[in-house]
Amino acid sequence: MKALLRQSVVLLALALLPAAVEALYFRDKISWQSRVADSDLVSVDVARGWGTNALWVDARPTIEFERDHVPGAISLNEDRWSEALSEFLGKQWSPEKKIVVYCSSQSCNLAEDVARRLREEAKLPNEIRILNGGWEAWVAQKR
Amino acid sequence: MKQTPNLPSPSSGGQAAEENSSFIPPSSSFRSISWRVVAILIGGLFVYAGVIKALDPVVFARDIGNYQMLPWPIGVWLALYLPWLEILCGLALMTRILYRGSVFILTGLMSLFIIATIVANARGLDISCGCFGHATKSLSFTWHLTLDFLLLGGLVLLWKGSTPRTDDRTS
Repeated sequence: MKALLRQSVVLLALALLPAAVEALYFRDKISWQSRVADSDLVSVDVARGWGTNALWVDARPTIEFERDHVPGAISLNEDRWSEALSEFLGKQWSPEKKIVVYCSSQSCNLAEDVARRLREEAKLPNEIRILNGGWEAWVAQKR
Repeated sequence: MKQTPNLPSPSSGGQAAEENSSFIPPSSSFRSISWRVVAILIGGLFVYAGVIKALDPVVFARDIGNYQMLPWPIGVWLALYLPWLEILCGLALMTRILYRGSVFILTGLMSLFIIATIVANARGLDISCGCFGHATKSLSFTWHLTLDFLLLGGLVLLWKGSTPRTDDRTS
């Protein structure tokens, strides 16, 4: 039993070393305090202030988009990514405009995933932000 | 000094029993070879899973975050630490150095992971564990659990296989 505990402690301690090195290596690439870096978020007020300079992307499931959405927004979710992305790039996209992605609430992850894919896969040069509070915040602001 | 099947005989080096218990010498018996193969397979799987996650801790941190069970900063630290623990434990299984400690830790990790997966599913979260990178992204919840339980079963077998039997200990 003693040997088992000692072996376990040795393994747990050994793993700290490469983890610490990796933490140093990734220190500027990881958002340490919140899932989305503050610099990637935008409030409803600010985003609305951008007016026609902003393109709104709805990352929620299509059924929720059809129920209601931000005026002028397009539905771009992971279920129909290729088709919706081509439609977005062909009809609305412009390199100068800012892109605001939103999903249902503060805790949803869809907007973050879509924003990441727009940056990394579609390689859009636009400033891409995630709406802080998502659709819930938009609705609350309208009241 | 009590002698177990996992300990080299005193004449093989004269190390202390505590030191010896971290090393299990290979045996020529079929049963022993089978354990060895299972240990190498499971160890290799954990090394692979660990390397995939260690290469991109940001994605793994996001996967941990999807479970919505831990504050983000803790998830980030786990994303940096757990892959290396998996790699080391996997290597320990394969090389049989610190063998029982690695089986113990991996069994604990698998159990925790299975509980977290079931809880997340019960809460209606559509999670991707990202355990093996993109290879398992499209797996259904049922398949995920089946694979997890298979791994857990393998680890439990390894644990039992590495535990000295009473009659061996007293012989």
